[in-house]
Amino acid sequence: MIKFKDVNKWFGSLHVLQNINVHVKPGEVVVICGPSGSGKSTLIRCINRLEKFQDGELHVDGMPLHNYSINLTKLRAEIGFVFQQFHLYPHMTALENVTLAPIHVRKIKKKEAKEIGMEKLVRVGLGDKASSYPDQLSGGQQQRVAIARGLAMSPKILLFDEPTSALDPEMIGEVLDVMIKLVDEGMTMCVVTHEMGFARQVAHRVIFMDEGEIIETEKPDQFFDNPQTERAALFISKILTH
Amino acid sequence: MLEGFNFRIIWEYMPLFLEGLRNTFLISILSIFLALIVGVIACGGRLSRWKFLRGISIIYIESIRSTPLLVQIYFFYFGLPTLGIRIPEIQTGILALMLNSGAYIAEIVRAGITSVPNGQIEAGMSSGLNYFQRMRFIILPQAIGVTVPPLLGQAIVLVKDSALLSLISVMELTRCGQVLTSERFMPTEAFFTVAFLYLCIYFCLKYLADWSQKRLIFKETY
Repeated sequence: MIKFKDVNKWFGSLHVLQNINVHVKPGEVVVICGPSGSGKSTLIRCINRLEKFQDGELHVDGMPLHNYSINLTKLRAEIGFVFQQFHLYPHMTALENVTLAPIHVRKIKKKEAKEIGMEKLVRVGLGDKASSYPDQLSGGQQQRVAIARGLAMSPKILLFDEPTSALDPEMIGEVLDVMIKLVDEGMTMCVVTHEMGFARQVAHRVIFMDEGEIIETEKPDQFFDNPQTERAALFISKILTH
Repeated sequence: MLEGFNFRIIWEYMPLFLEGLRNTFLISILSIFLALIVGVIACGGRLSRWKFLRGISIIYIESIRSTPLLVQIYFFYFGLPTLGIRIPEIQTGILALMLNSGAYIAEIVRAGITSVPNGQIEAGMSSGLNYFQRMRFIILPQAIGVTVPPLLGQAIVLVKDSALLSLISVMELTRCGQVLTSERFMPTEAFFTVAFLYLCIYFCLKYLADWSQKRLIFKETY
């Protein structure tokens, strides 16, 4: 589904991604963690080409992303992206946020799109908030609308860039619950997060990054209980005792 | 105080004043409309990916904003005929006002567009919306809210700037004041009336501003 082969990326002279090799299979849930500035956000932003890379090959859903002439709109329509800061459109209601792309990208009829949108909002537990504007919703509710917005395009892959980092502690649970439900439904997901409980419970693999490199790729239990490298061990001890 | 004030002369010259008012009004409306078009195009060029377009737009915007409007008016009034282009004063005036306001409007619109956070654009890109769809559904609706008040401000500036066209003998409101002054030597009456009529235009525009704000701004509380 997603296949990185020797991908390298530089910001100026800064080598932010170094020889990345990752293969994500359909239905797999991969958690990416690591200290800040380690390149984990950059890595998942490459998957829907919000970031370009200079070297290597990346295939997503059979499309070669290293080939710059691909149809980006078509690629992105198949990939949902959930941001740390939600980025809901403030001038639209929750339902309008969810239905915008289905109507204009998928060309679905308005009435039908509304039905799909409502279904997705109900799925994230916000059926009663369809006509609310983002500033009338709590952080956790906004992030769940953002997830519904991603789902409304019926994507093949969902990407999460620190989806709970901007939330108050008591709202993290409601967002994670929605994400766990998606895992159970067999969605292919790449999640950048520091929620180690989530990683342990549902991830099939944990990727640990530091300074642009993938240091470890392990099953969650193996990674948390028995990290192979000193850097990973240090990172785990820091986030578990914070 | 008002004893020396000659209302009869104002009444006598009222047809002239009304003609001036009409001209000022038409010149302003036409100029602001054209300036909006010029401004949006210049703003598009200013934000363009292509260096050439960006360069031209920057040269236009900066050269207009760094020179006095009166100089620009004289430049077109005396300069165009020497280049073999002969157009009546009123068109020259509209051309100058259009190009002048266009440069300011370009910057106002640019400020509105760049005020929309980058995350909004990325969110639109991630859902597969193309450039024009992002502009149409995400960026412009949010940009209009912050753009309307300064645009109306620019329209009011333009109305007042149109007084400078009196210097190239366009028969607009200020020019009518000058005519009354030179024919009857009553500057107080003349310019009191002129000022009063500018005030009327100002209130019309202000009414328009309030009206448009109610309709264009997506959410009053936001």
